[in-house]
Amino acid sequence: MTDLTVSASTQDAADVAPKRRRRRYRPGEVGLAALFLLPSALVFGIFFYLPFFKLVSWGRFESTRGGGYRDVGMAQYREVLFGEPFKDGLIHSITFVLYTVPAGLVLGILLAVAAHRQLKGIKVFQAIFSSTLASSVAVSSVMFLFILNPVVGLFKVDWINERGWSLFAAALPSIWQNLGLAFVIVLAGLQAVPEEVMEAARLDGYGSFRRLVRITLPLISPVLLFLTVVLVVFGFQAFAQIDIITGGGPAGSSETLVFKIFRENQNYGAGAVLSVGLFVVTFVVTALQFAILDRRVHYDN
Amino acid sequence: MTTELLDDVVETVLADGQVRSSLRRIVGVIGQYALLCVLSVVVLAPLFMTLIQALSPPLAYIDAGKPLHPVEVAWKDRTWFTGGAWSVLLRTAVILAAFAWLQRVGSPHGSWLRHAREIATVRRLVAIVGGTVTLTVLLGPVFGSLHAADGRTAGLFFLAVAGVAVTQTIGFHEPGHRSVPVAILDALAVSVVAVAAAMVFVGATVWTQSWASSGLGEAMLRSLTMSVLITVAQVVTAILAAYAFVFLDFPFKRILFAAALATLLLPLEVTLVGNIALIRQLGWIDSMQGLVLPFAASAMGIFLIRQGFRGIPKDIQDAVRIDGHGHLTFLTRFAIPLNRPVIASFTVISALAAWNQYLWPRSIIETDASNTLQIALRSNISENIAQANVTVAAALVSAVPVAVMLVAFQRHIIRGLTAGAVK
Repeated sequence: MTDLTVSASTQDAADVAPKRRRRRYRPGEVGLAALFLLPSALVFGIFFYLPFFKLVSWGRFESTRGGGYRDVGMAQYREVLFGEPFKDGLIHSITFVLYTVPAGLVLGILLAVAAHRQLKGIKVFQAIFSSTLASSVAVSSVMFLFILNPVVGLFKVDWINERGWSLFAAALPSIWQNLGLAFVIVLAGLQAVPEEVMEAARLDGYGSFRRLVRITLPLISPVLLFLTVVLVVFGFQAFAQIDIITGGGPAGSSETLVFKIFRENQNYGAGAVLSVGLFVVTFVVTALQFAILDRRVHYDN
Repeated sequence: MTTELLDDVVETVLADGQVRSSLRRIVGVIGQYALLCVLSVVVLAPLFMTLIQALSPPLAYIDAGKPLHPVEVAWKDRTWFTGGAWSVLLRTAVILAAFAWLQRVGSPHGSWLRHAREIATVRRLVAIVGGTVTLTVLLGPVFGSLHAADGRTAGLFFLAVAGVAVTQTIGFHEPGHRSVPVAILDALAVSVVAVAAAMVFVGATVWTQSWASSGLGEAMLRSLTMSVLITVAQVVTAILAAYAFVFLDFPFKRILFAAALATLLLPLEVTLVGNIALIRQLGWIDSMQGLVLPFAASAMGIFLIRQGFRGIPKDIQDAVRIDGHGHLTFLTRFAIPLNRPVIASFTVISALAAWNQYLWPRSIIETDASNTLQIALRSNISENIAQANVTVAAALVSAVPVAVMLVAFQRHIIRGLTAGAVK
């Protein structure tokens, strides 16, 4: 009797065990995982999520003349996000991206294609082309501030202080500084293209330009997508260039979204709404990029 | 470069019997080099312009009509061995390292770390040490003549170049690999660049002037401390988190991983206002912990290192467990060593990003004495246009550490930067 019950219960346990074991965690392992995840979790919680959720709630409050804040509900969101400051900032940010991203892609491809060949001393040229990696945004901005300076600079035009040109002046250091990164990334893509593919194209009588447009560029399109994403992110995040070269001026003509957020960083109400706006823009841009470009990209699989 | 071009041309002519096709190839090769040279000039143009501005006193430069060369450069009355023991040691070490690097590049071997014994032949050691000694000794008269403006500079400069070239030829010449004429041409090209660079960067007064006037040294030290702390923190937290996500079993794994990756959608620019308020609340304005802690973890790092960890075969993991070792042993003896390349790449890009930070220090540093290097450059910009050369010189000096890093860790940096682009 007893034997039977025992065997029955073990049988039961054996039936249940596989299901249950999947759900049951070893306490030691969970503890260790918690310990390992804690540092990252603290940083992400305190410096990423907490400020973000605070910002979302601060957007309801408008700063008053007395230095206090009053709850205005969604009114401030509506005012700022559909008003002039946000629209201007967004247009300037997009313009900045349009100045820097296509230039970065085209120049990156040009440099990489030129330097992707078997020539003696090609390493020297590759080193020169990637050399702008050594400069920081601040360094390149200071360089261009004085190159473009109407008094000591090398040009007679004064782009920095001209409304239509100030944003372009601030974009120039970015274009220059991105050369190294764009070159390095596209070159890595080119080097990953199998030699046989190019050889086959050559035998089919494709000229070098047609080979580039019809075969090479489609083959490295994932790399170009990656570069585009990186450059667009850089473009939207650009700050030092504007801070150093134009200071947002003249007359706010080069104030991008990030610059406006920085300028409003003491005004927790409007600054918060602008930040939430930037979050939405970043989100939408990233999603759009992947949705549009992903379909045209050739992935070998 | 020219020597290599000649080499190529000669090879093409000799290899190809048919004159017409070889001619076409020569033209093609020349065209390719010409394009590369033009592109190099375009890429380097802003650097040249800044160098001209750094060396020329602004007012004199404007008076001269802004030519494409420096004017009225102020030279120090010095030899290589004046200017304080530390700075002499430093600049000698730099020259020594540069010659060692050039000899490595000239050798058929890969790296000093792995092939030290093959690279360090007597000839190359003579070239490295001899080149350094010759340069330091022969530059003294060049500096003297520049300072006195006695018109003998060109002659002394070419003497120094010739002296250094002799030493470099000894190292570059390698029977069967590089013939004597080619070695001489390579050595000459190297020597011209080395002597000119040493002359400009040691002899001109503007560099030390910018170093002294703008607190560049302190700012650099602060930036270095910040970058090291951020990098170490990011690498450690990322390795731990990645390990947990790959090798440990715990509830809500997918959700937690998604939450970690979602921080990529919350860049500093978005959370800036909230974070500044937080730092102010904590009283961390102008503080090192304020600069470092918000960047102590990185979703990108967790993602990259997790990818690496996932590549470790299950067999290894099981074998370690059967041997009775715990997770810590597996982490330190297997997981980390097996993924050294990924971790190295992430370390390098993390350090580079930390060093280049601008928006965050600019937001929470309020006194100049707490400046990091990048924002010190901005504080240096003065209304006084007569100081422009010192300001741009400071910008160039501040790029030197990264330039050195770029040369030293080129492979890792490039692998790190292209990590997301190519498998």
